[in-house]
Amino acid sequence: MASIKGTRSRGIALHAVLVVGLLLSAFPFYWAVIMSTHTTSEIFSYPPKLLPSSHFLQNARSLFDNIDFFGSMFNSLLVAGSVTFLVLFFDSLAAFVFAKFQFPGKNVLFALLMVIFMVPAQLSAIPQFVIMAKLGWIGSMTALIVPAAANAFGIFWMRQYMKTAIHDELLDASRIDGANFLRQYWHVALPVVRPGLAFLGIFTFMGQWNDYAWPLIALTNPDNVTLQVALSQLNGTHGTTDYGMVMTGALLALVPLLIVFAIGARQIIGDLAKGAIK
Amino acid sequence: MATALDKPPVTVETVSTTRPRTGFRKYWHLYAAISPFYLLFLCFGLIPVGFSLYVSLHRWDGLGSMEWAGLSQYQYLLGDTDFWNSVGNTIIIWALATFPMIFLAMVTAVMLNSAVRFKNVYRFAYFLPNVTSVVAIAIIFGSVFSTNFGLVNAFLQAVGLDQVAWLNTPWGIKIAIATLMTWQWTGYNAIIFLAGLQTIPSELYEAARMDGAGPVQTFFRITLPMMRPVLLFVLIISTVTGLQSFSEPQVLLQTTANDSTYAGGPGHSGQTMVLYFFQQTFDNNDFGYGAAVAWGIFLVVIIFSIVNWRLVQRRGED
Amino acid sequence: MRLSRRGLLRAGLAGTAATALGGLTSGCAVPTGSTGRNMVLWYWDGGLGDTVLKNAKARYDSNVDLEAIKIGGYYRSKLITTMAGNAHVPDIAGLKGEDMASYLPNANQFVDLRTLGAEKYKSQYLDWKWDQGIADDGTMVGFPIDCGPVAHYYQFAVFDKAGLPYEPDDVSKELNTWEKFFAAGEQLKKRIPGTYLLSDINAVFENVVQQGSKRYVDKDRHFIGDQQHVRDAWALAVEAKRRRIVSDLVSGTPDQLSAVQDGKLPSQLNASWATSDLKTGVPKTKGRWRVAQMPVRPSNNGGSFLSITKECREPEQAFQIITWILNAANQAQGFADAGLFPSTPASYELKTLRQPDPFFGGQVTMDVFGPAAQKITVAYNSPFDIALGQPLKDEIKNVGVLGKDPKKAWSDAMSKCRRIAKHLGVSY
Repeated sequence: MASIKGTRSRGIALHAVLVVGLLLSAFPFYWAVIMSTHTTSEIFSYPPKLLPSSHFLQNARSLFDNIDFFGSMFNSLLVAGSVTFLVLFFDSLAAFVFAKFQFPGKNVLFALLMVIFMVPAQLSAIPQFVIMAKLGWIGSMTALIVPAAANAFGIFWMRQYMKTAIHDELLDASRIDGANFLRQYWHVALPVVRPGLAFLGIFTFMGQWNDYAWPLIALTNPDNVTLQVALSQLNGTHGTTDYGMVMTGALLALVPLLIVFAIGARQIIGDLAKGAIK
Repeated sequence: MATALDKPPVTVETVSTTRPRTGFRKYWHLYAAISPFYLLFLCFGLIPVGFSLYVSLHRWDGLGSMEWAGLSQYQYLLGDTDFWNSVGNTIIIWALATFPMIFLAMVTAVMLNSAVRFKNVYRFAYFLPNVTSVVAIAIIFGSVFSTNFGLVNAFLQAVGLDQVAWLNTPWGIKIAIATLMTWQWTGYNAIIFLAGLQTIPSELYEAARMDGAGPVQTFFRITLPMMRPVLLFVLIISTVTGLQSFSEPQVLLQTTANDSTYAGGPGHSGQTMVLYFFQQTFDNNDFGYGAAVAWGIFLVVIIFSIVNWRLVQRRGED
Repeated sequence: MRLSRRGLLRAGLAGTAATALGGLTSGCAVPTGSTGRNMVLWYWDGGLGDTVLKNAKARYDSNVDLEAIKIGGYYRSKLITTMAGNAHVPDIAGLKGEDMASYLPNANQFVDLRTLGAEKYKSQYLDWKWDQGIADDGTMVGFPIDCGPVAHYYQFAVFDKAGLPYEPDDVSKELNTWEKFFAAGEQLKKRIPGTYLLSDINAVFENVVQQGSKRYVDKDRHFIGDQQHVRDAWALAVEAKRRRIVSDLVSGTPDQLSAVQDGKLPSQLNASWATSDLKTGVPKTKGRWRVAQMPVRPSNNGGSFLSITKECREPEQAFQIITWILNAANQAQGFADAGLFPSTPASYELKTLRQPDPFFGGQVTMDVFGPAAQKITVAYNSPFDIALGQPLKDEIKNVGVLGKDPKKAWSDAMSKCRRIAKHLGVSY
């Protein structure tokens, strides 16, 4: 009897600690809500506000007046969406080849892939900027989409996934049926690795959506930027003058990813864990 | 991975055909399938890396013509106290963020592993900080750490402590950045750890309990050793991302003054290596020196990763 | 579903092309400059008068779509990066006065305004201001917008409460040396705890340097940042810190503005254009401010230019627009809009400039800025000034905000300057 009681009180203590962690995780979101519902001079005065106020719509209106919020959100969707599509296609195709076929030079090419994985981005930032200036891509979304269209991480990860997920017998059977390489890719490989693709897709999308350093440099046309750059511009211009509006922008910028997450939470959390354990 | 590399690189059929042209014709579709990545890499990876070496040997402002400078940019880099300051900042911020994060994530994971109810709710909530935009969240943290109207200082004052000017003292800046990173990544890593914990066979724990081991002993004797690969994975990922940190300090320490947005606050206390690279290249328009800085960062990252790896490796042997 | 190899490849290529095109079209489709009909002007918050821009847009509407874009953050860096990126370069670009020297070596990125007939406007502008827009080879890069006479802004009621002089004339007269100014700061702090006269130590250092006729590098490409004029400014700044009259807040942060609003930072030494920063930044303080002369003598801070970039397709049209925006009548309007002090002496007589300003409790601020502007000393601004002034500004900030030992800070600044000078080919 005593031991049951002991386990129960331990269980309660456990949950108490976990709930504190949960509140800490959620708090900044709540704080953003508070900040975005106050006027700037209310925010600037002491003591800090702990409850929401009523100026959200006013802040949102000046936000939409000051920056092209939905335009930049569209740009972010365009970039993240196109990159995700291209990465899924190119990476899975290359991964399929590396996982299931033999051909001359394979080892060298794969080793090269691993080296590329390690080269830090800023090493190529200057030349990339110069090359794109020559191509006339600076200031447009092309400058963000093209270089990100295939990546070493995705190929490596998909290859690991495909090696176990696609059974050689299936491939052999389809070969006997006369299927060529692309049909094998399309009809045999892709259906099997769909969960892997979903994970890589969500991962790529979130990464692109949050990409900041390169867009900050490459998107020189201030009227046509991604959401992250627009937010940063907003903070750099109005961070001292209209703080309530800046906070409203930050809050609204969180919404799209939260929606993606709410839809795919189970998949993301489950696959992230699986990926790491492999 | 090892098995694929150990296999003979060519199939039997190719060996029998002596003329390579036939080989290429036979395999062209495979090369075509992997070509997009290598083409992109050629244009935006290999050529740029070579070109950045070339740029680093010149004086160049990105607008005018290049002027040969030999190794002088590298010579300057070696004695550049601002660069070394940024290296120190990066490593300190990385350490301030990574160790508490791994500790907290591990504790959270162990607790989640034993709490049966609401596990999915917790997992969902703890993962939430990771699906935010870094720019937005850095703006929000900026207001949490404000000296005058921030929440942290209001709390300190409420419990009778002095206010801290978080965003303009060297340690305040580093702690604020590290806190932001810890907040964003603890839950993410806890979920990875949790998955790792769930792969540990329960028989091991049973056996330990039979031997009369307490919970602490069990953790150090069984859990930790079994978790080594996962721990290593988390450490590597956080090293790679931590040494390249840019967005958090850039947004957190941005001001509306007509000043460099890559300066990293007073005394450059929050200026990381990548921020310094951006400042030299795009604020000072010194493409030549910027390229040399990029190579410097590359070397630091490699050396740091090797040291890190060796340390973890050796501890494993003990 | 039949899918041929070629079909799939084609689909992939089409996808890539479509996204690339999508990016291009949403990126305005014109990689460089404008089409002529569409004319882009870059400036920054408070860089030009809103009314003036609105009128200019309406006036030239039949010929061009004038699109004025406000650029936030570090303006010079964004403009030069955009020029290096060779796309979306504005047709007309504002250039900040303090950055001017660093644009001049890249004069070939701009249209030489002399070729468009700028000479005939010269007589209408202040001579020293006009000359600052001209590169060493004679290319005229910038057309004068405003100058930045510096004055002492203070909150009337706070000074009164602290027992300090509070009428503008008294403040000008009684706080006319640095010694008296610092003593006032001490009194302010004693009477109202938690209050500082200035937000940072750089306000002292940079203003003292700007009061002089020399800066960091001279015309012969020689470093002079180690000479007496800089040492004096440094010593005064250190003294301000020692006497604890400067806060450790960083300019341009919400914290600083919040302290200004609360009356904890009731005073600043700033150029006339700072009036617009105050009006938009802390609108709640309306009526609390006054301006007086700064200690010793006025200095000049900033004051900017308009330029036409070489990407501009219609330079004649652009030139017509900028000369109109910057004529005497519109410069007067710019002062009313954004505190931009005219570089056209003809404006000084205009009524617009002599309006009482309710933000300053009905004071006619021109009475302070006008005389200040006439006493400005002009210093040579070298292209290397920014690079070699930065270590000094950084290190004095370390003294102010981080409490670094001033001796150590000075020697660190000097060794940095020596290295940078050598790197840039400036003699030390």
